[in-house]
Amino acid sequence: MTGRGAEAPVSRAGEVELLENAFRALAGAGTARELAARLHAALSTWAGAAVRIARSSGSGWELLAGPPGPLPGDTDVPVSTAEGGMLRVVRAMPDGVRLCVVVDGGGEGGLTMLGLFVTVYESVFREILSRRHEKDLIFSLNHRVLQLNSLIDTGIEVSSLECRAPHHVALERAASLTNAARGVLRVMRGGRTAEEVAFPHGSPPAHREGRPGTISSTFEFGGERYEFTLLEKESRQGAAHFDGTDQLLLDALARQVMASLENRYLHRQALEKQKIEQDLAVAASIQQRILPKALPRVEGYDIAGINIPSKSVGGDYFDCIPLGGGRLALVIADVAGKGVPAALLVSSFHAYLSAFLEATVQPAALAARLNTVVSRTSTEDKFITAFFAMLDTASGTLESVSAGHNPVFLRTATGDLRELSEGGIPLGMIDMAYPYQSETLTLGKGDRLLLYTDGVTEASDEGDRLYDSASPLREYVAGHCPDRAETFIRDLIADVKRFTGAAPQNDDITALYLMRT
Amino acid sequence: MEQPFSLTSEVRDRALVIATSGYVNNVGGEAIAAEFTRHHAEGIRSVVINLGGSKVVNSVGMSFLIEIIERLQESGGKLYFTDLDPAVEKMLSIMGLFQFAGKASTVEGALHELAASGGVP
Repeated sequence: MTGRGAEAPVSRAGEVELLENAFRALAGAGTARELAARLHAALSTWAGAAVRIARSSGSGWELLAGPPGPLPGDTDVPVSTAEGGMLRVVRAMPDGVRLCVVVDGGGEGGLTMLGLFVTVYESVFREILSRRHEKDLIFSLNHRVLQLNSLIDTGIEVSSLECRAPHHVALERAASLTNAARGVLRVMRGGRTAEEVAFPHGSPPAHREGRPGTISSTFEFGGERYEFTLLEKESRQGAAHFDGTDQLLLDALARQVMASLENRYLHRQALEKQKIEQDLAVAASIQQRILPKALPRVEGYDIAGINIPSKSVGGDYFDCIPLGGGRLALVIADVAGKGVPAALLVSSFHAYLSAFLEATVQPAALAARLNTVVSRTSTEDKFITAFFAMLDTASGTLESVSAGHNPVFLRTATGDLRELSEGGIPLGMIDMAYPYQSETLTLGKGDRLLLYTDGVTEASDEGDRLYDSASPLREYVAGHCPDRAETFIRDLIADVKRFTGAAPQNDDITALYLMRT
Repeated sequence: MEQPFSLTSEVRDRALVIATSGYVNNVGGEAIAAEFTRHHAEGIRSVVINLGGSKVVNSVGMSFLIEIIERLQESGGKLYFTDLDPAVEKMLSIMGLFQFAGKASTVEGALHELAASGGVP
């Protein structure tokens, strides 16, 4: 069959009309395949003969439209022939692919018209390519926005303490944003794999780090090495290669995980510190309760005392306990160290002291019993320095023992100063029946006694100078004799504070002052 | 952690309902597109894709979803996404998919929308 349009000459106006109609028909096509189908329809109408449309990118012709039939061999372009009763046009399209149009039948006259149809096709195809390129560009730009947005969102998500496994989230996001088919996360501890996660779950956790086609990012934190590896980058055209942006994204996500782990570590530390501070506050509260709120009023004596705890829980203790028969027990003690262990030992000391004072009247025997129980209930590095005195309030007879404590100052009414330090080792230092030695003296009218802890003598100023070095306590006791015990304590503390200035108080300050009036 | 991809499909009220599970990547996208193509050739023009089981979608997977949207546009059809994880919803939104596709909380909601708009031919 021969085509009418391909065989017979058509008027110029008719050709223009044909081409305009063809352009309108082809312009509505959205894809290359659809465009070929529309060209086929237009050519079939024009030629009234069999039309074949094929394309080739170098590996043989692929028929796009029309019935099977002879197609040209692999040939250079352009081709435009009217041979063997066939019109044939081969032309390179803007995407580099060759388009072949064959019309069965027709002569030289139809070849020009066929060429014009192919030109119309080429023009519309160029428009389709342009739209596709524009769409790809928009897709690519949107994807970049998505990557940046996801990077920010992932940073927020993994930094949240509610995110249970930030490294898992980061692996998922990294695979998704880089179009990796899968990913592997290994956490190494001490050279061994502590955790291995595959994305998607159940995909083979093959270790192909370092091989072509993979990217990795690692960091170390808390003795663990985190290795993120992405494998098999995908594209619509098949396997692809990860690029520099992919590596940047993976590195950024890995850094976000590291920052998250650091934040979690610091948060845990803050919580632990908060818990310790709460425990210390409770311990301090308990310790304050075992210290006397008020000292007893004893006929013929004026007594005052003070305990100023430092910020952390300390281990100072003092008391003034009336016993039967007009006797009065004076006690001051200092547990080595600070914190909850020291506070616990003070509580134990208070309990033992209260129990033993019921039956023990000799300070040396009291010290020996306390040494035994403290040795058995405390750790090796914990001991207590203490001073015990038993005062017969009627006669003024005072029997005392120092268990390794600071010397107690006796300032007599005549102005003499004496140190009371007879005794023995601190309580709890050695578990043995230690033979504590006591000393006895008589307090006369106007005599004064100062018991204190090293929080007084070792109070330091901002230059780390000690109070006792700059202003010896014994001289202060010797030279300062107010009418009231309370005044002495107040003035002593004021003097210490004046010395320390703005320096923080590092230890408990405890003092007990007794005057025979 | 996300599971490997799988899908189920059914035709309800003359609409194709595809429910996915796992990573929507090249493999997942291809599977969705193939399922769509099979039903589209049979005249289905309303599609609901339930992504509730997919928490991670990559851009290759998204390109298949865009292709489905385009083919439905050409044939006068409509696509709805349902049960979207917030992260996936944000991704689809940034990539511009909701300019041409709808979203609903549930499959039932999407089917209702399609019926109300006369989208189910």
